[in-house]
Amino acid sequence: MQRVVCHFCDTLHEAPAVPEGTAARCLRCGVVLYQNRPASLVRTTAFSLAALALMGIVHGFPFLIMRAGGMQTELSLYRAAHELVKEGSLVIGWGVGLCTIVAPLMMACGMLYVCTPLLFGRAAPGARVVARWISLTEPWNMIEVFLLGVLVSLLKLGQLADLEFGTGFWAFAALMVCMAAAVAGIDRNELWDRLEVAGE
Amino acid sequence: MRRRLPKASDEGLAGCHTCGKVAAVSEGRCPRCGGKLHLRKPASVQRTVAFLLAAAALYVPANILPVMVMSEWGDVMESTILEGMVEFWKREAYPIAVVIFVASIMIPLIKIVALSWLCAAATGRVKPSPQVLGRIYWFTELLGRWSMVDIFVVSILVALVQFGTVMTVEPRPGALAFGGVVVLTMFAAMSFDPRLLWDQLDLEQATDTIPALPDNE
Repeated sequence: MQRVVCHFCDTLHEAPAVPEGTAARCLRCGVVLYQNRPASLVRTTAFSLAALALMGIVHGFPFLIMRAGGMQTELSLYRAAHELVKEGSLVIGWGVGLCTIVAPLMMACGMLYVCTPLLFGRAAPGARVVARWISLTEPWNMIEVFLLGVLVSLLKLGQLADLEFGTGFWAFAALMVCMAAAVAGIDRNELWDRLEVAGE
Repeated sequence: MRRRLPKASDEGLAGCHTCGKVAAVSEGRCPRCGGKLHLRKPASVQRTVAFLLAAAALYVPANILPVMVMSEWGDVMESTILEGMVEFWKREAYPIAVVIFVASIMIPLIKIVALSWLCAAATGRVKPSPQVLGRIYWFTELLGRWSMVDIFVVSILVALVQFGTVMTVEPRPGALAFGGVVVLTMFAAMSFDPRLLWDQLDLEQATDTIPALPDNE
């Protein structure tokens, strides 16, 4: 029987398979040890693919369009990071870019790269390295926080100028949902078990 | 004494941080994903405390220094995080004022206090129940990222409000300090090992009931 360790309290458990849609919890502290997600690989693959397509739209169309004094500016993810760098705030500019552009892109590409071949019982070359990178990147993917930032800015600027939602904004909201669904689609232990079985 | 459930570290086993594989810690690296194996995160309390001290030091400039400056027809107005919140409150946008207050001012402070308390508990200086502490840890990890919202607001305003002499917004050093607080508290939460709380509990229970027995770890 396979064994599993609770990452929270270090209790060692035997790990029987659990029915689809349920989770195994630690006997001592109660945190989730592993889950059996229905159609996990298909879901993660599908939502990652959708997320990648949405990223194309997000980067192609503006989020918000602002008009004041006969001029017009547009907000995009790239501009949000780039203008900071241009204004001399190098570190924050790169940080913002990392959390809103690089991390989501890496996660979506990574999940697609790892999960698609696994659907056919194969492991892509270097899949383990990529899977490690996904788990390292995860906490820095902050698209949902950025969306809240857009809403706060909207209220801040609402009195000062004319604001209009662009296509990018709606695509971004959908992107947030797809990324969350892709990440939640598969259990970490299950993914690694499958990678181990598939070999490299 | 009620027998406690077996721990992985009793048998020299470690659950891999990255992939969860159970392997003998003597192997050094995880046979499945290649990540380094540890019984506990190395120097967990020291690292957490170091990150917390740095975050606490930056918390002061993050709240005192302006995060951005808005110029409108030559009128220059610098604003700190707190002033941004007060402005929303005055305009009777109460929900958004509360969101900013919680995300930007409360969460970093709660994180610093909560993690310090967890470090004290992990080293046996305070003795609350690990269940409660575990909840707190889970909560701090979940909420920390939302503090970033003010940094994003600055980046959005700087990108959008570029109307030459009419109206412009520029970033100010407070934003860097504030971003530093958020990132440092995130690192602090990542460095902390919640298993130390349970180790401490086991240690106390063992010494309570059978004080003469030598430690078998």
